[in-house]
Amino acid sequence: MTDSTAPTRANPLIGILRSLEFRMFCLALILGILLSLSSPFFLTERNIFNILDQSVVIGIVAVGMTFVILTGGIDLSVGAVFGLTGIVLAQSLQIMPIPLAIPLAIAAGATIGLLSGVLVAAFGLAPFVVTLGIMAIARSLSFIFSGQRSISGLPPDLDAIVYSTFLGIPANVLFLIALYILAWAYLTYTKGGRTIYAVGSNMEAAQAAGLSTMFYSILPYVISGALAAVAVTFSLAQVMSADPMAGNGLELDAIAAVVIGGASLFGGRGSIVGTLLGVLIMVMIRNGLNLMGVSPFWQGTAIGTIIILALLAERLVNWRAARR
Amino acid sequence: MQGFDQQSSRADPLMTARKVSKSFGSTRALNSADLTLRPGEVVGLLGANGAGKSTLSRIVSGHIAPTGGEIMFGGTPLTLGSARDALGRGIALVAQETSLAPDLSVLENIFLPHLATPGRLSFAKLRLRASELLRGLGHEHVLPLDAEVRVLSAAQRQLVEIAKALALDARLVIFDEPTASLSSTEVDRLFDIMTRLKDDGRALAFVSHRLEEVFAITDRVTILREGNTIIEDVATGTLTQGDIIHAMVGRDIGTIHRPRTVTAADIGETVFEVRNLRALPHVRDMSFSVRAGEILGLGGLVGAGRSEAMEAIWGLRPRQSGVIQVRGKAVPLRRPADAVHAGLGFVAEDRRAQSIVPDLSVRENLMLAVMGKHRSFGHGYGRRAEKVAALVAGLGLPADRLDTSMMAYSGGMQQKIIIARWLLTDPDILILDEPTKGVDIGTRASIYRLLQDAADAGLAVIVISSDFEELLGLAERIVVVSDGVTIADLPAARLTEEKLTLLAAPRTSTLRNQALLRRLADEHGCDATWTLIDGEETICLAQSGPPLSGLRPGIAALAHETSIPTAIRTRGAAYAEDETRHTLLTQMTDRRGHDLGWIGLTFNADTPLPMADTIRSEVAALTRAQENAT
Repeated sequence: MTDSTAPTRANPLIGILRSLEFRMFCLALILGILLSLSSPFFLTERNIFNILDQSVVIGIVAVGMTFVILTGGIDLSVGAVFGLTGIVLAQSLQIMPIPLAIPLAIAAGATIGLLSGVLVAAFGLAPFVVTLGIMAIARSLSFIFSGQRSISGLPPDLDAIVYSTFLGIPANVLFLIALYILAWAYLTYTKGGRTIYAVGSNMEAAQAAGLSTMFYSILPYVISGALAAVAVTFSLAQVMSADPMAGNGLELDAIAAVVIGGASLFGGRGSIVGTLLGVLIMVMIRNGLNLMGVSPFWQGTAIGTIIILALLAERLVNWRAARR
Repeated sequence: MQGFDQQSSRADPLMTARKVSKSFGSTRALNSADLTLRPGEVVGLLGANGAGKSTLSRIVSGHIAPTGGEIMFGGTPLTLGSARDALGRGIALVAQETSLAPDLSVLENIFLPHLATPGRLSFAKLRLRASELLRGLGHEHVLPLDAEVRVLSAAQRQLVEIAKALALDARLVIFDEPTASLSSTEVDRLFDIMTRLKDDGRALAFVSHRLEEVFAITDRVTILREGNTIIEDVATGTLTQGDIIHAMVGRDIGTIHRPRTVTAADIGETVFEVRNLRALPHVRDMSFSVRAGEILGLGGLVGAGRSEAMEAIWGLRPRQSGVIQVRGKAVPLRRPADAVHAGLGFVAEDRRAQSIVPDLSVRENLMLAVMGKHRSFGHGYGRRAEKVAALVAGLGLPADRLDTSMMAYSGGMQQKIIIARWLLTDPDILILDEPTKGVDIGTRASIYRLLQDAADAGLAVIVISSDFEELLGLAERIVVVSDGVTIADLPAARLTEEKLTLLAAPRTSTLRNQALLRRLADEHGCDATWTLIDGEETICLAQSGPPLSGLRPGIAALAHETSIPTAIRTRGAAYAEDETRHTLLTQMTDRRGHDLGWIGLTFNADTPLPMADTIRSEVAALTRAQENAT
């Protein structure tokens, strides 16, 4: 039966209070308070920068993952692409200057993303399977290109992209903030961003309305691949060595952050603000457990529980809304 | 003292629902609904969209729990925890969208509820039982028991649903809009089955929008309006169509089709033309054109290939051949974006699957096609706010609700929003596929007005509809499609629902009749025609041999415009003479005596005439053969 009664007038404040992002924000806040109560170090300035610093890599990758998941896809290859482009960057730095090597690595990441995107959007293959295949290929190539060992001896100047500061804020954190603002604006205010939502929500309708569904189905994978390379650049600048196994499991962290942020794996629903909160919640849990001296092996249990609880809470809210 | 009144001959009620109410949160879907169902009767449950028909059906069949009220079933109060409970008590719902498992076979689906019972099932026994059930329905050979349900037609799936209900020995069967996706032959068959079930002493409820069908099948009528029962358990025969509409909408809406006065000056040049479109397997050869300011109807049966043709034009299906011209220029439409840029708009048939983007707001849904049409980086919502506001005001949608979800609105409002989505792109041509499907009568009228106003402003409108009454009321000209081929192009004024139904008749008869015409023309060296005749008016459906009669396929003509006016006027048992021509017209009828048109043989004066009786028995033999085949 169709409901003939019109919905109540939208009050913007109630809209915000009812939004998923607001609930996630509350969750992050409660988590922060709990952790600051249990550890005196949690709320120190140093630890806050620590949390932000630890958010950079997963945060950057999660942006790309948000784009992909919004279209109803998934990118399992980001961890492996992170590892492979790290090796590409490290090897390039042996023979060319930094300003050439970084774009080259990013281009490599984007190309791999393009391949996934085309296979998914143009050939209609399942994103899960395509990116699983790409993951295996990328990981294998990173072992081959690295000669099965870590590559060190990177130019010392590289650490400038992490350790130079502006108004006391490190460059990598600044970059993360800028990236989130940019991604938010793109997804909210541009034709491309809205098309990505429409593609994920109802591909057939988006196509019938004359939108370039093919282009905007591929683009998210390209962004995801490119951002994996950007993330590894910041990581390399900190550890000054490229490991072929780097980024192992990173895809799961990114997916978890996006899902905690309220995105639907079926596409069409989710937001960049939610993803940011998801990233912060995950990093805070890790950081807090470390501060409390809990064995790192418990982190998986904690994060897994949070993911399931977040989904469960969302489902309960939806049930209530459906029954209204 | 009920036993002494006029209803004394009727059986005791099997189910009575009294003051049933249902609230979804703050929304009251049912306020106080009464319904009485008796064995051996079909009760029509009527009401506009949102009146609560489906809610009441779903409560009685255990799909949802009522908020208040009382339901008695077989003399005891009925409380149902689930649809399974209801099935256990012998109450089944045959819904519009069937609840079958598409990957399982017909047999497995019929006995799906049995699969949950413990113990071993004997498939041999089930098979026997299933054949028995289908034989009881008169459809033993129509439904292969081993076929996967996904390959079945809508009508066959419904049959499986009915068999599934009977396998549980359902005593009460509710049909919720069962005819929505059926062709007229299939509806006849369904009604046969319903009659059998009724004669078996089962109680049936028939939920429908289609008044003709209600009059055809129901014994009693119960009408809901805004969650309340307005008329309960009244004999169908005592009501007129006007009574029912009045009870449904609470006011006289008069005719919902406001005739449009169109003069030649209002109609502009041809803006859109399709020639010999071929998009197999559904579209074989379709040609039509539409002019600015004109509303063109595409008539035909469900499955005739009209929707598929539009999707092929829109670039959603591959085309094998055909020319598509916009304003006299051929346009290569490879994908929907090409069509949008060429100035076309397309309101597809399946609103949920093809039009609505559920996660976007009403505003964004409105802007979707504009965004597809204009090249820009930003989404451009702000720039078009004024135009949106004007359009939205015309739809009766408050401007401050633009940011709410699409899904919160009724089907009628959603449809208006989707139509507005395309009007926003300033199209030259707007194609609408079943624009009033699932839309209540009140909203229908406003959709018609919306389209007529748009046509008055110079838009060329193409409407596909299987509701012939709607098509005749809305369109000025109608192109009839039958089995993927455009067979006639006629002014709507020359047509009636009956003629349109005949023209749209499916291929089996068309092919056979064409074969008959060819054979007669070859055998006797004459002009053989198949024509619908009503007084002075003729519509020729097919022709073979030398053109002596002046009748041409797909063309409507008055008797004096043909070469055989005397023959058309007399239609006697013997040959009629028109100057040098001799014509014999023989009527074809189906088993119910419906007119299927006239087979005409026209001879030149110098040709020997075959015996009139021979021809007549030949035609009669053919119609009998057709009956047996279908």
